[in-house]
Amino acid sequence: MNDFLHQLDRWLYAAWPGALVGLLILLTMAPIRLPDALTVAPLLPLMAVYHFCLFRAEALPAWLLFLLGVLFDLLQGGPGTPVGVSALQFLLVRQAILGNQKYLVAVSFTFIWLGYALLSAAAVTLSWITMALLSWRFIDPQPALFQYVVSLFLYPIFGWVMGRGRPRDPLNAPEARP
Amino acid sequence: MAFREAVAQAAASVRHLVQRFSLALLVSAAVGTMLIGKADTVLLERVRAAALDLATPLLEAISRPVATVNQLITDIEDLADLRAENARLREENARLLAWQSVARRLEVENAELRGLLNFKEGPQAGFITARVVGDSGSAFVRSMLLNVGRRAGVAGGQAVVTGEGLIGRITEVGEGWSRVLLLSDLSFRLPVLVERTRERAILTGDNSAMPKLSMAQSVVGIQVGDRIITSGHGGSFPVGIPVGVVTSTTDGSIRVKPLGDTTRLEFVRVIDYGITGLVTGPAPPQEMYGPPLPPAGLRPAGAGK
Repeated sequence: MNDFLHQLDRWLYAAWPGALVGLLILLTMAPIRLPDALTVAPLLPLMAVYHFCLFRAEALPAWLLFLLGVLFDLLQGGPGTPVGVSALQFLLVRQAILGNQKYLVAVSFTFIWLGYALLSAAAVTLSWITMALLSWRFIDPQPALFQYVVSLFLYPIFGWVMGRGRPRDPLNAPEARP
Repeated sequence: MAFREAVAQAAASVRHLVQRFSLALLVSAAVGTMLIGKADTVLLERVRAAALDLATPLLEAISRPVATVNQLITDIEDLADLRAENARLREENARLLAWQSVARRLEVENAELRGLLNFKEGPQAGFITARVVGDSGSAFVRSMLLNVGRRAGVAGGQAVVTGEGLIGRITEVGEGWSRVLLLSDLSFRLPVLVERTRERAILTGDNSAMPKLSMAQSVVGIQVGDRIITSGHGGSFPVGIPVGVVTSTTDGSIRVKPLGDTTRLEFVRVIDYGITGLVTGPAPPQEMYGPPLPPAGLRPAGAGK
């Protein structure tokens, strides 16, 4: 029984990052309208991708990010909108983190936040350019900019909440392992 | 032993290669889907419909508590300015009562004149009320998901309105869901009329809160404050649904503020006009001979609000 629970615990632990990104994708779609000005949802899935690629990259393999990104685009887009932009965003963010891990692991939160600021700026710019190129016209960047700024200031809250869960990782508490 | 080590080393390098290659593969797959979506929209729409069939029940489940929270916030906000709101409504009520008597008189007069001229009315519009279960939440796509679909009689091209005015058009329909493309979306185009001058124009969404009015004719004579209504050209929309108000006419670019507010929407109405299929449908109705069309507010589509 205990073995089973441990097994279940490990499974849940392994599935958590992917499941959370999926849940945040659905939450982005939910018609939540808190402040009037916020017509676009914050980049919650991107935050989760950044966070988990930083701390548990093995739990978010590239293929899973690809699938989640495609799902996100399929759900979000209307006709004619490109499918695959979010997948590309997620994959490039993951790769950028894996390639620069030495600057981002075991540093203070300020640096992690700075990293998020840079990478999400790149990701938003990427999707803006892609949209403009594929539709071949100028697109008002203001909503995207707004989305970026709001997400930037939400990230510390998100990171703090996520950080609360980390001390309970089996990896950080060896006695919890079977 | 050395052989085994060599094999292990080779295996490791192969694995490394595959890992590296898999990223390139996935990145090109992502770019590929974008291009495929540009070239072959039918395939992608089918996949999208399947994904939405799965996701809509989940979204609907999420939307209920979300709506409750939104309602609570609105209630609290409303409490704060109850007095001012009350005074405003009383004033508006007085004004509307005056309008009502005018409208009654005109309605009777209109009916009589139509009887005299044997005027043929367009099809009667029916309504389908829908719950908003999802929102694109994206910075580049402006759309909403509704919990009604083919089963309820929704079809592509139908107009979607709130009490205030038009908010968009149905673009995709599933069994139990449909997607509304909002006025502000990049790919939104709508034939409209300037209510005062009866001038035809095209409303073009460009991802900003204020869609642009591209005039088919001259821009002269359009003033700030002019109301924009649907023209009914193209066949799928009834004539005279209020769309917006002109807010600026600077250097040839006319901006329109939509009347329908899309933030915090819980319910919308889909107008079933009997004619659907904006592009592929039957030819648009013939121009009617005789007197100019009656004022928009008195048509049944507008009166149902």
